[in-house]
Amino acid sequence: MDLNDLITSKAIVPSLKANSKKQALQELAAKAAAVTGLPERDVFDTLLQRERLGSTGVGNGIAIPHGKLVRLDKLVGLFARLERPIDFDALDDQPVDLVFVLLAPEGAGADHLKALARIARRMRDPGTVAKLRATSDADALYSILTQPVASNAA
Amino acid sequence: MFETLNLLILIAAGLVALSVFTSLVSFRIGAPLLLVFLVVGLAAGEDGPGGIAFSDTRAAYFIGSIALTFILFDSGFRTRLATFRLAAAPALALATVGVALTAGVVGAAAHYLFGWAWTDGLLLGAIVGSTDAAAVFFLLRVGGVNLREMISATLEVESGSNDPMAIFLTVTLIGMITAGSMEADAAAGAEMILEFVRQMGLGLLAGLSGGYAIVQIVNRLKLEAALYPILVLALALVLMTVTTLVGGSGFLAVYVAGILCGNVRMRQQPSLKKFQGGTTWLSQIGMFVTLGLLASPSQFGDVAVQGFGLAAVLIFLARPFAVWLCLMPFGFSRSEIAFVSWVGLRGAVSILLAILPLISGLPNAQEIFNVTFLIVLTSLVLQGWTIRPMARWLKLTVPARMGPVDRIELELPGGQDLELVGYTVHPASPVARGERIPRWARPVLILREGRNIRLQKAGKPQPGDRLYILASPRQVPVLDTLFAAATQEENDPALFGDFDLDPETRLAELGALYGFNVNKADADLTLRAFMMRELGDDVEPTDRVAYGDIDLVVRAIDDDHAITAVGLAVEHVEPAEPTLPFFFSREDFSRVARRVAGRIRRSRARAKVMARRKSTYDGKGRAGTAQAPETDAPQADAKADGQAPTAADQAPAPAPTATAPPPAPARATTKASIQDDDEDEAVGGRKSEDDGPDETPRLAAAGHDETR
Repeated sequence: MDLNDLITSKAIVPSLKANSKKQALQELAAKAAAVTGLPERDVFDTLLQRERLGSTGVGNGIAIPHGKLVRLDKLVGLFARLERPIDFDALDDQPVDLVFVLLAPEGAGADHLKALARIARRMRDPGTVAKLRATSDADALYSILTQPVASNAA
Repeated sequence: MFETLNLLILIAAGLVALSVFTSLVSFRIGAPLLLVFLVVGLAAGEDGPGGIAFSDTRAAYFIGSIALTFILFDSGFRTRLATFRLAAAPALALATVGVALTAGVVGAAAHYLFGWAWTDGLLLGAIVGSTDAAAVFFLLRVGGVNLREMISATLEVESGSNDPMAIFLTVTLIGMITAGSMEADAAAGAEMILEFVRQMGLGLLAGLSGGYAIVQIVNRLKLEAALYPILVLALALVLMTVTTLVGGSGFLAVYVAGILCGNVRMRQQPSLKKFQGGTTWLSQIGMFVTLGLLASPSQFGDVAVQGFGLAAVLIFLARPFAVWLCLMPFGFSRSEIAFVSWVGLRGAVSILLAILPLISGLPNAQEIFNVTFLIVLTSLVLQGWTIRPMARWLKLTVPARMGPVDRIELELPGGQDLELVGYTVHPASPVARGERIPRWARPVLILREGRNIRLQKAGKPQPGDRLYILASPRQVPVLDTLFAAATQEENDPALFGDFDLDPETRLAELGALYGFNVNKADADLTLRAFMMRELGDDVEPTDRVAYGDIDLVVRAIDDDHAITAVGLAVEHVEPAEPTLPFFFSREDFSRVARRVAGRIRRSRARAKVMARRKSTYDGKGRAGTAQAPETDAPQADAKADGQAPTAADQAPAPAPTATAPPPAPARATTKASIQDDDEDEAVGGRKSEDDGPDETPRLAAAGHDETR
């Protein structure tokens, strides 16, 4: 259950500075725009639209904002570690410091859901989360995310 | 004289104390507490080490009746009206038809096993016909299982309300036997029904008016605070006896009055609850120990084989059959029916009723008593001990809505609208994590490390603080959730789904977001409306509704069982509930009906096509003889000729319409079938979550047809 196909080493933000949920999404949209070449505004709007239906903060300080973009040609993942945890309206009211963004092309359908499921499952793995929190080095973060999960099959 | 009296008091008090002590052991080994009380009685009795020769049936019945009155009043008092409303229909079916059916089946078995007359057999059936309120309540409340509310509510209301039915049947049968009137003609039957209506009607009326009277008296009289509970219990006893004297069902009256008193605004409710809690315990101990004392286990050997045989008939045949018949029409699932069948605990009421034939001096009275005792023992041991594992195995438990809460309620004299609630702030509670206390709740006192802190200086509540809040009793449940420790499962994504969704989101929005097709009829539904439609009344957190490849999960519900938070699980999870090979539910029947209807529709459509083709071939002078095999289709369908063209148009449609899912790819993937399923679901109402994987018509999976 590694996330090799979803994320590239360029799509890692090792220490994102943000004071609010909105600002974090903005920063992430900017990064996503750089990775995909799509307008920043579109990405931001897409993510914000999803947040309106309910927070993507899944608990334990993790959020997985996601959405679909028309002009995207494949699934694009983006990982950010926040310098300071921010309030994300998460279910457990815990502030969020790890964010995995997933953008999907319009027709992705089941692939989108499957990718989301993989990310959610991966971010539920306590070992992975602890390792992600322990480092602020982009390469190290990338290799943690792309490694297969260690022995415990969470 | 004084010596004997002292001795009596010593014995009685000693037995009660002993029973209380043994409750410690009971919690350790998980034995049903009531069984322990019964065993204490047996041990103290004539055949046990205690050697007390107690055989005063009248005294036992007297003690038992009073105890039962208290227990029933208290059980009504603790039944929330919402619970009652939720489960009234299925529970009352069980309490009336269910009891009669159980009595009938057990009665027939007793008739053949013992060679007794039909009336004697049926008498035994009636005696063991009702479940025991005390036993069921105790196991459901103290048992440490969180059952789906529909199930626990049904069991609770059933056990509270079926005793009057069993009592009625028993008394009527004894009357028939003593009067020697064995003729079962229509007149006797009509008379019996009339008597039933009179007893229950009077009981209900007396209960309502008596309950109302109790509330009025308590609210208007100014008494010493400690006198209220005594007054209420005394009035309950008066109500029971007066109703019985005028020919109504006294126990029904008491239960109804209890429900009324517990659900309207009445002074002293918290202290009443506390006092009655104690009285109920004392009543249970008194009743079970007395009945244990009364029994002579040395005689059990004579009826052991038949007794255990009858117990088996009751547990494995009569009760399941009756429950199945009663609950099936209400749309209960197989596992739910199985569980309700299993919680058919017999208890003190049955033994109490078994005393009646002894008092009336019926010829088979002693056998009836002994067999009843064996049945109750078997039921308590076998069922009482296995309720928890059974609930878990059938997957009917739900995660606790909140963890333990440390709360005390203080009633304020004078005002009926406010009470003082004291909480200890639990370190894992929402308040300790920074959740704000709502404005309507006014903290009046904060104790920190044993000292009174000025409110202005207290700042945020700290773990371990003791907060006293002025609030209305109705708002206490909301405060509970704020001060209770968070449960372990509370945020488990595996149970509640990965993401949060606004219940007001429309399905169409969700479909657009995640790329699955939404059935047109559903598009405008909000998630709340859609899930309520699919799940029916019986909604519990963690219930799932599959839609396409996702599962919508109930995250939270309010007191009225309305969904307040929805989760989204991006992976569909097959329900893990075991599929029992019996107890077919209404869902199963309607599925079969749908399948048959689909088959008929298809074969009709095929016949029409054949008829049309045949007529074309006939017109062409039988040019297409190569197609001969297909003309096997009913030739008699000549009248279809006129509709031939339309039939041809329809022909492609009905085939996929058939809901009968082909065994392998269970998903309905075409628009037509989606629509069709949908109709059926709507008619079926409650779509239970136990549907096996091959039977659930997944609502929409168009767009991508890979199977996981």
